[in-house]
Amino acid sequence: MKPARGITPWLFLAPGLVVFGFAVLLPMVLTIGYSFTDWNGFGAMTFVGLDNYARAASDAVFRGSFVHVVLYIAATLVLEVGVGLGLAGLVSMRPGRLWFRVAIFTPVMLPLVVVAVLWAFVYNPDFGLINGALAAVGLQGLQRIWLGDTATALLAVSFVSGWVFAGFYMMIFYAAFRQVPSEVVEAARLDGAGEWALFRRVKVPMIRGATGIAVLLCVTGGFQGFDLFFVLTNGGPYGATEIPTTLLVKTVFRNGEVGYGSAMAVVLTAVVVSLGLVYARLTAGGRSSVGRSR
Amino acid sequence: MNRITRRVATIGIIAALGVGGTMGGVMAQDQTLRIAMGSPGEAGIRVWDDVKAQYEAAHPGWTVEMNYMDDDLYQTIGLQNLLAGRNAPDIYFEWTGSRLAQRYADGYAADLTAAVTTGPIAGLFDDTVFPAATIDGKVVMLPHTADVTNVLWYNKQILADNGITPPTTWAELLAACDTLNAAGIIPIASGNKDLWAAGNWLAHMASRVVGEDVYASTLGGAGKFATPEWEQAFGYIAELTTHHCVNDSANAIDDNSGAQLFFQGKAAMHAIGSWLVSWAIDEAPTLDFDYVNLPAMPDGAGNQDSVIGVETGYIVNAKSDKIDAAVDYLALLNSDANVQQFIVAEITPIAKSASAGAAVDSRAQRLLDLLAGAPAVVLPPDTGYDLKMADALYAAEAAVLGGQMSPADALAGIDAALGR
Amino acid sequence: MSRLLVSVALGLLALVYFLPLIWMVLSSFKTNQAIFAAPFELPTSIDLSKWAEAWHVGNLGRYAINSTIVTSASVFLILVTGAAAAFAFSRYRFRGRSLALGLFALGLLLPLQSYFIAQSNLFTQMAITDTLMALIIPYTALGLPLAVYLLKVYLDALPDELFEAARIDGAGDARVFRELALPLLRPGLATVAIFSALACWNEFLLALLYIQDDDLKTIPTGLLAFSSRYVTDYSLLFSALSIVTIPMIVIYVVFNRHIVEGITAGSVK
Repeated sequence: MKPARGITPWLFLAPGLVVFGFAVLLPMVLTIGYSFTDWNGFGAMTFVGLDNYARAASDAVFRGSFVHVVLYIAATLVLEVGVGLGLAGLVSMRPGRLWFRVAIFTPVMLPLVVVAVLWAFVYNPDFGLINGALAAVGLQGLQRIWLGDTATALLAVSFVSGWVFAGFYMMIFYAAFRQVPSEVVEAARLDGAGEWALFRRVKVPMIRGATGIAVLLCVTGGFQGFDLFFVLTNGGPYGATEIPTTLLVKTVFRNGEVGYGSAMAVVLTAVVVSLGLVYARLTAGGRSSVGRSR
Repeated sequence: MNRITRRVATIGIIAALGVGGTMGGVMAQDQTLRIAMGSPGEAGIRVWDDVKAQYEAAHPGWTVEMNYMDDDLYQTIGLQNLLAGRNAPDIYFEWTGSRLAQRYADGYAADLTAAVTTGPIAGLFDDTVFPAATIDGKVVMLPHTADVTNVLWYNKQILADNGITPPTTWAELLAACDTLNAAGIIPIASGNKDLWAAGNWLAHMASRVVGEDVYASTLGGAGKFATPEWEQAFGYIAELTTHHCVNDSANAIDDNSGAQLFFQGKAAMHAIGSWLVSWAIDEAPTLDFDYVNLPAMPDGAGNQDSVIGVETGYIVNAKSDKIDAAVDYLALLNSDANVQQFIVAEITPIAKSASAGAAVDSRAQRLLDLLAGAPAVVLPPDTGYDLKMADALYAAEAAVLGGQMSPADALAGIDAALGR
Repeated sequence: MSRLLVSVALGLLALVYFLPLIWMVLSSFKTNQAIFAAPFELPTSIDLSKWAEAWHVGNLGRYAINSTIVTSASVFLILVTGAAAAFAFSRYRFRGRSLALGLFALGLLLPLQSYFIAQSNLFTQMAITDTLMALIIPYTALGLPLAVYLLKVYLDALPDELFEAARIDGAGDARVFRELALPLLRPGLATVAIFSALACWNEFLLALLYIQDDDLKTIPTGLLAFSSRYVTDYSLLFSALSIVTIPMIVIYVVFNRHIVEGITAGSVK
């Protein structure tokens, strides 16, 4: 590494910093500023101090939205990370199943909106794939209004999320499994370990780093989920799938409450960033992470 | 990998140049009329596209850009963003009432008084249509059509097969629900995922019970919803639920899927607005269906023949620099030939020639007459009043309709949401 | 035996996984009535005219072109600005370095929600909403932190002697970057390109907020507009979904190795 030579490094940095500063940092600071005001986006802006935060703290819908997103994240930890881990275990047992990995990974490639429109039909109570399949095998009793029932709606959305992202986590785990030294696996085999014991006691413990990253991605990504919720339920039925992001968009872009929405956004940001920092602290100097498209 | 990178980079450069080029192009020329609206349905789109072609043929060098947006999006953030954006529309759809007043107040509605009295549009309309479109003595919107936003549509065949006459009273409606349920047919289809579809219908019902004055004042911001008369009104929604009048999936499917249940003969009735006729042209060309106004509510304080509806039309953007061209376009839109085209698409315009020409005995025309002759007109919550209030009201109605909340709790919930 | 069992299990799983997509394609060949009456019956004939109609009336070609422009322009900008920034961080020690690096690291964590309200307001005031720039700028900013971070990791791994040798040969900073760093960075650039391309291609929220003009919509928002415009013609909608989906599957099958490597490297590194 070369020591500072005046302006040179800044010339290399400038284009990136300008774009990033203009499109991310400046708006972030402005959003924090908005959060202390009462403003509809175009009229007069009044400073209201911490009123918006007080309102957020006592807003049952806002608090409920955090409960929903936490439930959603809990479900996706099982349906995305858990299932992904299981699938990766299966695939690594039987290497060379390229077509299988292709099948499972395909949904990751599709725009989530496309996936959501498709699944709205799959869940359609009157001619959808699921209720139709249940009828075809004589299980009419299990038919549900999947997206219209407060008991099933959140789970139904989580399931679609699992359908999409289980393949993503499968690939992460698959790549991690491949780096487990084969001598270790062979040694365990010689000790008489079956495939299941091998998976549970040898392979999984050895990819702890990948698991940590997967959990972090799933949690921070979960807080930012929007597309699936927006198309499938948009917060309904009866607010049962209202999550911070859908509520935020409604508050700001439908009701024109920019100030209050900004306060919500700041709270959400604080939660996501602190989770990331906690993770960074836990893995002490560990590598940072990225979001995935939601 | 290397090849991919290089290819991506090349495409990127070409694209970046391309973007710059088109942007420059758009800046330079300004002979484009931009028109924005919620989707008028397939039959309606055909007419609009034809009018666009006529205009472009008559004005060489001009192009017309149509923007048909999702209705719900248009009504909430869509139009707002468009007006504030760079390619703001020159002509845009709007509802009369508080929304039109807001556009005028924000400076987005051009004064069309001269155009309709002495200009290109003079004589195309009867003067009686302008009051709803007039603010401060200026005509600021050209009325195009009027929507009855809710009546009860029925499938003639299904009702006849089950020995039911179209219900005109509340008791008849509930009895019809029981009969139809026994026959395994959905009595009334509703697609209420976005909350306005059943919300509008149930709000009309409530206005019949609480009376038009109480309806207007409560929705307008005075007083609480948690009152005995509103509770009585919401009690009728709960009765609909008890009698299983609406499909179980009502709050899960959108309005299109709700209409589809009716079109496919799975439901006997469908509570929705006048646009259904136009949709049916493509979707259910052979379906024999008609409508009745909402049944009379027992002990209602309101006029039991009231109609819920709103006049809609097109505003010329006051900030446009092509106001004259826009006025010409609106004149063309309301020419006799184009009015006839709209009538064929079952969208009956308000323009004079619609009723002057060959007698059109369409359901759409009868609906217009229903609105014109209504002893009391009720404004829909989401276009006539504040949108946040409408959202809260609709959500409460949906919760009662879905059996999730008691009328009293739901009403208290509205007050809480609105901080009343 | 157990191998066979695993194979069968994998096969069944793959089939179940693909079922919604298969159903989508089959339904596109059926009429509304048939979709309602018998959702599982095979279509009576394979008639591609609905697909042609969906392509034609649905403006899908326009959306695809817009998506291509936005994605390739954003990816190009991410690669160029990201590589330059990573080069600065990796090769120089200078005042403000850790602050600047910290800002990009923060960008890795920041959710979109932390800035999109003010961003939308800013863009509206600067009149860049309803242009493709309204997507290219934020997509570039969105992809930058990861690009900088990843490319810095790649550059850090290169031996110092390489750069020293170049310098002794008299190469200036710009030339070292262009002729030494960039070529060596190729695998990293490819990874970043794939990861960013997918994110841009699929982005929805900003596209929904910033683009109202139908002729400027990208595939996700365009498809949503399509689904509400042709409200009740399901086979048309299924055709449009199929048209959007199938090329992605083909691209994926062809490039699957690179894509998988790109995406997993992007998330694990």
